[in-house]
This record gives sequence, C-alpha cells and structure tokens, in this order.
Amino acid sequence: MSGPHLDADHELRIAKAQRLLRDAAGGMHSRAFVNVGDVIPVDHEAGYLRGHGTQPVKEELLATVCGVVERVNKLVSVRPLRARYNAETGDVVVGRVTEVGGNRWKVDVNSRKDAELLLAAVNLPGGIQRRRTAIDELNMRDLYVENDLISAEVQSLHQDGSLHLHTRSLKYGKLRNGQLVRVAPYLIKRLKQHFHQLKDLGVDLILGCNGFIWISAASPGNKDNLPGSVATSASAVVGESPLQFEVRERICRLANSVRVLGALGLLISPDSIMQTYEASLLWEVPVKDMLSADFYVKLAEKEAEQRMKR
Amino acid sequence: MGALSAAEVSYIEGGIAQNLRSDGRGRLDFRNISIVTGVIPQASGSARCKVGGTDVMVSVKAELGSPPKGRPTHGGMMIKIECSPTAAPEFEGRGGEELSLELTRGLERSFLGGPNGSGAAIDLSSLRIVDGKTCWVLCIDGLVLSSDGNLLDALSIAIKAALTNTGLPKVEIVAGETGDEDPEFEVDDEESSQLDISNVPIIITLTKVGKHYFVDATAEEELQMKSAVSVAVNRKGVICGVTKRGGDGLDPSVIIDMISVAQQIALTYIPALDLQIAAAESVDPDS
Repeated sequence: MSGPHLDADHELRIAKAQRLLRDAAGGMHSRAFVNVGDVIPVDHEAGYLRGHGTQPVKEELLATVCGVVERVNKLVSVRPLRARYNAETGDVVVGRVTEVGGNRWKVDVNSRKDAELLLAAVNLPGGIQRRRTAIDELNMRDLYVENDLISAEVQSLHQDGSLHLHTRSLKYGKLRNGQLVRVAPYLIKRLKQHFHQLKDLGVDLILGCNGFIWISAASPGNKDNLPGSVATSASAVVGESPLQFEVRERICRLANSVRVLGALGLLISPDSIMQTYEASLLWEVPVKDMLSADFYVKLAEKEAEQRMKR
Repeated sequence: MGALSAAEVSYIEGGIAQNLRSDGRGRLDFRNISIVTGVIPQASGSARCKVGGTDVMVSVKAELGSPPKGRPTHGGMMIKIECSPTAAPEFEGRGGEELSLELTRGLERSFLGGPNGSGAAIDLSSLRIVDGKTCWVLCIDGLVLSSDGNLLDALSIAIKAALTNTGLPKVEIVAGETGDEDPEFEVDDEESSQLDISNVPIIITLTKVGKHYFVDATAEEELQMKSAVSVAVNRKGVICGVTKRGGDGLDPSVIIDMISVAQQIALTYIPALDLQIAAAESVDPDS
C-alpha cells in the first residue's frame, strides 16, 4: 500500500524524518542495502559463490533486485524486500481458501504458489478421529469452503516451491468477527507468539508471517472459543450477535494503525501497533483520519525522534 | 479482487449498519483524494486522480474534426474508458471490456448531454470553428490503473480536473471561411484558451448494502453491493445524469431519497474538490 498524497509542507517534514531515520540506522545501512545494478563488494581473491539476486558483470558482482545483502560463508545473495511470501516451516499464516477438492484445500497465502492443506492435517470438529472414508472427503465443505479465511501453520516446504499447511491445534482454523489487513510480508518478523489477545481492548490479533493480519473481536470464554475453533461450519456465522460499536471502533483503529505502519514501511509487531494505537488516541485523531497525510507524517516524525534517542 | 468469506460479509454489513466501516469511515465519508494535473505532455489536458487505492488517469485531446450531423454550430466530445490489466488480473485480454463499457456508458450519460447536444458538460457551441465544416472534437480517454472501488466517481473527478487543465490552441482561419472550398487553418499552440468548466458535473455513487447506502465504496464493499445509484451533480446542484447499477430492485422513494442525499453531498463536496483542482493546477509541473 502506498502512502497518502502529501502536500509541500508534509513532503518536507517526511523527508526530514526519513533523513533522521537513515542516520539513526547508522553506517551499516548503506552497505547492507542495494538497489538493482549496485555493485556488491566481494572478496575476489578468496572467491565467492553467487546466490539469488546477483549477477556477475565484468569482474563485478551486481545486484539484480532491491534488497538486503546476505552472506553465508562464501555465498553472497540479495534478499529482496518487496517480494512474495517466503515460507518457513512453523510459520503462522493467515490465508484464504481458493479451492476445495480431492482430499485437500488450496489456500492463498500470498506465496508464489497456493499452499495445500490436506484433509489429514486438520482437526475435525469435536476432535473425533478421522476415518479415511469417501464420505469424509465429501463433507469437506462443512469445514472450510471457498473464500474462507483461515489461520494455519506451515507444516512443510517442498522442492517445487509448494507448501503444506496444518491446522492441527485448536488455535488454528476459520476466522470470523473481524477484518483482514494486508501488508508487505517483510514487515512481519517471526516471533515466539503470533496470536495476541489484547485483553484491555477486547481484541484478538493474528500476525500472519505472510503479511496477512487478522484483527477480530476477542472470542468470549475459554479455549474452546479461540479464534477459529471447532465451530467452523458456514452456518455458525449467521445468527451471531452483532459486534459492539466500541469493539468495532477499536478494531478499526488497530486496523488503521497497521495500515499506516505498512504504508510507512515500519516493522509491525504488537508493540508497534499498540504504540501507534495509543499515539492516535493521545493526539485525538478520529479513526477515519488515521489514513490522512497529517497522521502519516506525524507518526514518521515520532518514530524518527524515538530512534534518535536510542 | 476475489470474493469474501461469509464471516467478512457479515462483518462489513454490520459495520455499514453501525455507521463505522472497516477503515473507520462513516457512511457519508470519502477517502483521501489526490489530484495531479498535466501528467501527459502530449495531451491538451490531463489529470490523475487517486481515491484511496483507486487510481485513474484521464487525458483530453483536442482535435480538429467535423461537426456532428444536423448540428453545424457544435463541436464534438467523446469518452472512452479502458481498464488496464495492471489494475487487476481479470482485466487482461478482453476481460476488462464489460466494465470499461459500463463506465463509458455511465460517463457518457452524465457528460455528453442529450442527442441535440444540449445539457452537455461543456458548452458544445464553444468548440465551433467554421460552422458546418470544422470544429474541435474533445477526445476524453480514461485509464483505470488500479481499482479499489468507486471507479465512476474517481473518473468523473479526473475528467473534471483534466478539462480544467485543457487549453484549446488558438486557430486562425487562413482561407475558405465562406464558399465551397475547404477551409485552411493555422493552429497556434503557443496561445491557448481555457474551457468553461462551470457546468462539468461530478458523479456521486451511493452503494446500497442491506438497508443502508453509503458513498465511496471500496472494492470489498462493492463485492456485496445489491444495487448502486450514480448521480451526476454539477456545481449548481443540478442533476445531470442518473445511472443505476446492480441487479437488485429499488423502491422509487428510496431512489428519490438517494438522489437528494447525493445532491446535498455534492454541494459541499464540489467546492472542496474545486479548491484541490485549483491547487493541483497551480503546481508547476516543471518544478
């Protein structure tokens, strides 16, 4: 997502904030970051192995993508920043079901290929054991149908770039009562926890490693009702009690916080989201004005100021 | 833009009912708009308009042509909208044609006036050069670069900005103003005159989901659209065109209600837009 339209005054302020941010990052910034066609310094005498995102041109090694130079022993590669999601085993992801068929669901997780979720890799409602029957496969639509949003974990990666998911825990499964916000996957770092319950706000947050962020009303009660628990049939949505206005406002405010952070290219973590959320309250910015140029610039300035202090 | 899950549909509908949409807007709030004019140097006038994630570009090219049949004192105007495949993969090949046609129709209805040319956005008689022989023809071409809902409104704003930006070159008739021979001209690109854009309308689309209607729908909200009414309103608050989209029927009283709401909104919205267009015009493209 690109930022809002800036007028001349905002332009100046954002440029200043960006300069500060660059200074705060220190000298390493310029060395680690390359544009397309930049020369990557390598030790020619000791030799090197060229990895993804590089190309040798006349004795020199050039970058073919914009990104961060990574070196592992002799291997030199460039990790692109703006790329599709690169999965790793164990990642928590949020995805959308695109296809139901055979014994698997296909799930769009913003990767190069749709991920596969095998029927054998899900928890059936009520925790009953799956008997491998054809009826089982016919009833797959009771669990997830096309376009459903689900949370899942990456189970395995394959040679051809495809990946398998599983939802073999109560915390994974169908998502409801909230909204999805998409950001660039590189903004989300892998943490110990990707499911967060913002208790004071009554809001649950799932930071999918693939850049899909799910913000929803806290599920009431105990573990049985964690986001996407076993009550997964499509009919469960109908007849649900409507969201309270205050909760919806908090969801919107959090969602807009994420959108602004995403537009500014700042890391998205529970902390940064909460800081943005609180800043918006402190500055008394109405929810709908959080995507305006003014808030965008103010937030960049605040971030620059904070980093300079460190 | 794919479809939404049942849970998202009920969430969005609930938000519209509670007057708090997914991005925090109320039902009658617009997204941030940015307007840049003079983006295409070859055109007589051009503008690019972004409404949230929607991005459209419009160029106006003034060409010498012959007046429409039966209206020798008028100039011509035509509109063509195209959807770029960069906006959505569905638009690739012939995929965008249906939507392009729908948008073109909606704009033609609002901007081109009746069959005799009266009521058009631009006074067509101001485009005349030699009666019955030569006149200016304004070709308005729109391109949808990115689609996040509310395309028709964004295009109408971009057209208004592009027309503001348009300069008609000065034409001197060298020979053949009267008589049977073909006229000859000298076109002076250095000197140009502005068009009178005081009657150019903008379109306000009210989308109806559930019992409520709202302005400036996002792509997600448009997916659930039952019906929508697009109302073209000019600066005086006069309705220049009404287009209904979507299959769901509407009660006549609701339509009248929607039209008057659109009119009210436009009366406050147009002056703000005019300021923004004027600001975009005052920015020197070379600086």
